[in-house]
Amino acid sequence: MDVLFQQLFNGLTVGSVYSLVALGLTLVYGILHIPNFAHGALYMVGAYITYTMMTSLGLHYVFAIVVSIISVGLISVLMERIVFHPLRDSTPIQHKVAAIGVLLFLEALAHYIWGADYQQMVTPYGQVIEVFGLTLTMQRILIVVTAIVAMILLYLFLKKTYTGASIIAMAQNREGAHLMGINTNKVAMLTFFIAGVLAALGASLTSPINLVFPSMGHLVILKAFVIIIIGGMGSIPGAILGGYILGFSESIGATYISSDYSDIIAFVLLIIILTIKPQGIFAKGEA
Amino acid sequence: MLSLRDVSVQYGNYTAIQNINIEVRSGEIVVLLGANGAGKSTTFRTISGLNKPATGDIFFEGSSICSLTPDKIVKAGIVQCAEDRKLFPEMSVQENLMMGAYVHRRKKKEIKHTLEEVFELFPILHEKRNQAAGSLSGGQQQMLAIGRALMSKPELMLLDEPSIGLAPLIVEQMFESIQQINQDGTTILLAEQNAHAALSIANKGYVYENGNIVVEGSSKELFANEEVRKAYIGA
Repeated sequence: MDVLFQQLFNGLTVGSVYSLVALGLTLVYGILHIPNFAHGALYMVGAYITYTMMTSLGLHYVFAIVVSIISVGLISVLMERIVFHPLRDSTPIQHKVAAIGVLLFLEALAHYIWGADYQQMVTPYGQVIEVFGLTLTMQRILIVVTAIVAMILLYLFLKKTYTGASIIAMAQNREGAHLMGINTNKVAMLTFFIAGVLAALGASLTSPINLVFPSMGHLVILKAFVIIIIGGMGSIPGAILGGYILGFSESIGATYISSDYSDIIAFVLLIIILTIKPQGIFAKGEA
Repeated sequence: MLSLRDVSVQYGNYTAIQNINIEVRSGEIVVLLGANGAGKSTTFRTISGLNKPATGDIFFEGSSICSLTPDKIVKAGIVQCAEDRKLFPEMSVQENLMMGAYVHRRKKKEIKHTLEEVFELFPILHEKRNQAAGSLSGGQQQMLAIGRALMSKPELMLLDEPSIGLAPLIVEQMFESIQQINQDGTTILLAEQNAHAALSIANKGYVYENGNIVVEGSSKELFANEEVRKAYIGA
């Protein structure tokens, strides 16, 4: 029984990070209407900036994360301005090619600046504590709590403020939003900023229990795709729920089936869910 | 209030509208008649800033609005209710209406007041305020689109074929509501194929054919015009 609870908690940790990354991807999907392949690169850059702030400038982990999420948010906005905005009237395939281009560029840049080596990020929250017979590290608790707080803040922002609601409105009908006096340029930039922040936050939180390397975004972004497909493209509750479903399935699968197969579980899950419900769990209507 | 002077719009090599001249005076209902594809919607998109004219200029209350972005044009007081309604399908009716007041988002009290006025005009929207906009019937969606446009407290409202796809009884109600909105002080530019209903509430009209205005005149003149009667009124 202890093993089960331990694994459920691990699933919660992993799922929290997946949800953060998938949320950014699903928000940007509302603007671009294609999955942004470069999102995984933002995740990777986020981890590196936090790492560099800690090792080179000696910043505290928390401050390093703050610097990282703001920087990656701005990189994300820059990407929208110089790559996607000029392509706004072109075909989806051009967006996809551009997104892959940005991905390759950022990865090559990471190789150039930080090299190909695996880096270890040290957290000041490595303490181990016992709660109800479970052995937890402070870092994992930090991941879960921070992710949930971030999601609640995002939810309140989207639901309770005009600026947040304009993001949802633009995703549902871009011209409709424009005709209501919403500045769609500003909304697009804001959405990319939030997506960058969420990616950097997810990466910085999970790096101390994983490793930092140029291709660290690959598997995460593939899984984030699976999550937003499972959850329904563009759906916000779908991204959160999908993230946790995947996190739990992986950690349970790793324990009771084989840890060698933990990464394949995401894709098996994808096949099963797409077979049963091809539109995803929180599928949108025709409109 | 609004005047289009020699406006032409091109999509690539294709000229959608050519040398359009339209005058709308404050307080009027002006109707644009014409078949599908004659250029009515293009005219509307151009006034709202979604298309840019290749030649000509558009003036609103004395100043040119051609270089403004769509959101600035809404702020200036022109709102458009597009033909396909462009609602936010997964938002509730009330959330859709609130988005209509986006340009006034800091004036909470005023928004509440306008919301009450819209609910008074379309009681059905109050009844269904918590339902998703996408779940409404066609007529209700059209009311919501008009209500949402009213939330921005426009001086001039562009209505693109509000009667399209609606049952005759609903169409009648719709035109009554439009007249009501006009009497409450909003100038209206209306695009319609339902010429009879539109001309009976309008002050004047323009008839479009293949991107040009071929006939213009007061409602009376258009009703009396033999060609217009044959082509659009069918009597």
